Amino acid sequence: MHWWSTPSIRVRLTGWYTVVLFLMMVVYATATFVAVRHEFLEQLDDQLHDDFETAEGFLAPAPDGRIAWSGDRHHDPDNDEARGSDVWSAGGEPIYRSSASVALPAVAIAAATTTPRYESVVTNGSRWRTLTGTSLVGGRAVVLRVSRSEDRLRTQLWEILVVLVLGLPLVVALAGIGGYVLARRALTPIDHLASEARRITADRLHERLSVSNQHDEIGRLAAVINDTFARLESSFDQLRRFTADASHELRTPLSVIRGIGEIGLHETRTPAEYKEAMGSMLEEVDRLTTLVDTLLRLSYGDAGTVRLSRESVDLGQLARDVVSSLGILAEERNQRLRIEQAANISVTADRLVLREAITNVVDNAIKYSPRGSSIEVRIHADRDRAILAVADQGPGIAAEHRERIFDRFFRLDEARSRDAGGTGLGLAIARWAVEANGGSISVKEGTNGGSIFEIVLPARTGTIVEHQEHATQRMGGDA
Amino acid sequence: MRVLVVEDERKLAQILASALQAEHYDVVVAATGEDGFFRANAEVFDLVVLDLMLPGRSGLEILQTLRQWHIETPVLILTARDGVDDRVLGLDLGADDYLVKPFALPELLARIRALLRRGRPSDVLRLKAADLELDLVTRRATRGDALLDLTAREFELLEYLLRHQGHLVSREMLAREVWKEPRRATPLDNVIDVQMTRLRRKVDNEGGARLIHTVRGVGFVLREGEP
Repeated sequence: MHWWSTPSIRVRLTGWYTVVLFLMMVVYATATFVAVRHEFLEQLDDQLHDDFETAEGFLAPAPDGRIAWSGDRHHDPDNDEARGSDVWSAGGEPIYRSSASVALPAVAIAAATTTPRYESVVTNGSRWRTLTGTSLVGGRAVVLRVSRSEDRLRTQLWEILVVLVLGLPLVVALAGIGGYVLARRALTPIDHLASEARRITADRLHERLSVSNQHDEIGRLAAVINDTFARLESSFDQLRRFTADASHELRTPLSVIRGIGEIGLHETRTPAEYKEAMGSMLEEVDRLTTLVDTLLRLSYGDAGTVRLSRESVDLGQLARDVVSSLGILAEERNQRLRIEQAANISVTADRLVLREAITNVVDNAIKYSPRGSSIEVRIHADRDRAILAVADQGPGIAAEHRERIFDRFFRLDEARSRDAGGTGLGLAIARWAVEANGGSISVKEGTNGGSIFEIVLPARTGTIVEHQEHATQRMGGDA
Repeated sequence: MRVLVVEDERKLAQILASALQAEHYDVVVAATGEDGFFRANAEVFDLVVLDLMLPGRSGLEILQTLRQWHIETPVLILTARDGVDDRVLGLDLGADDYLVKPFALPELLARIRALLRRGRPSDVLRLKAADLELDLVTRRATRGDALLDLTAREFELLEYLLRHQGHLVSREMLAREVWKEPRRATPLDNVIDVQMTRLRRKVDNEGGARLIHTVRGVGFVLREGEP
């Protein structure tokens, strides 16, 4: 690409400006020239008219009956090489011919009228303007012609034309340069922004563009770019944290596997010990596999490549399904796992994905609630929203952790949750699953300690059937 | 029973071969797509285990050509990709079953047994192991003379273990076949473990030899004597 095929905005702006200015100047100069020329010619005609009257005054009948020319010295047009006067008798006899106008052709007497007539005449390469008319002198008609050379006028017009033609490009060139300078000055902040933005790379995302005036166009542009940088920085941070956490989580089972292998090979052991070691390794492999699978699913979710089905799902049925599946875990811990359903509600969702979300939240409640406590799954409607809340009597979650609890690999208690067999991704999956189905998930403090996880989904219209009284259903194991 | 394994990764091919040999299959390993195609075409096998990602000739191509030539040997495909499209394509092209890498060997063996059994009458009404008996019609389970009081899920679990008697059963297989869950998840693993503990308490605590064994890191096996 050459610079002329994709000129900069500055050059294009100046180019357009110059072209438009040039055209305007041409129109202006032409109009001026035409007007001036018209004015000059009119003045010339006025002068001729005056000359005519003056010349009439010089004509007087002589005593011999002939008409004589008596031009006085001061007003004698004859003194001027640029003007002349000629007088003919009605018969065509020349009465007077000034030296300047002798070269002009004689007037056709027959054509002369009482109304003076203006004419332009060319003789020997010079233009003359003439005024011809008849006049009565002492009762006799004479033909009088006054003339002025147009040469001076032409010279003046030529000079004006030269000034205009030479001055116009000069003016346009000066204006173009001025325009270019202005455009450059106006666009310099953009170049500045560009070079500043170029400086901000992945490693320096915390930097921002400097904004001199927030309210002008450049300032708004910079603010928009800064906003983009801020979002970029936050997703980079998230990604960085996630990568660090993920590699940590992946390294743990890897180092365990390695350790078991190294210790196992260090000395000769009994077959039972080898079996034990290999089993232990396989357990870690299993954990790794689950972790990688889950991470993959989350990344498919991030990329938006997961295709969800949209079917009508009875929320109460889904909750009973989950509770019957996980009930055995609660039973083991002597926990009461109950469903309290205030209304029959259906939502539009991918059944399996939504079920996974509820499973993870309920499983989380079972895992972190003390033995012998109760866990309640409450389903109710709030206008057109379906709400599934899981309330436990666990230790609760401090306010500052409530937002982060759904982050990937976020753990309140490292050791305990790992012993419970968690990957640290259960609630992250739950959040993804709920949000992918158009809902939201949050956690709040329960009325008497513990936490309440709330899954809110848009209800299918017309599916909310409020129960007359709150039916409480007790769920046991999955017998 | 002759099994052809088409797998380019040397280590994995070796593992597959020794696992199949341990189950008394006659195993032939082909390390490239061309070799696999040539052998599947020229020799007679009871089953082909086919990796989809092969250098030279892709597994899908081999499968397609085999089916075009009306070679109807059962084919089990192995795919590293967890993409649904790939699996569907494989099944559409005539594969009989698929497994996603990394897979558990017990699962592979179970799938192979199922494929080889296919077409033969397998409708049994009673399953037995030692003095444990399951009547599938009346859905009664007895150990010796004692009637076992099992829940529906426990009965299904025991039935599955008995059907795979002597073979390892992974949690993944149980999740899919007994719990009918399409995806394995940590909560479900815990459920399976608890359920298994309860079942074992009922089956093995009535006296007699221990039948249900846990194989650490792999899964469970129902067999007489040591696992």
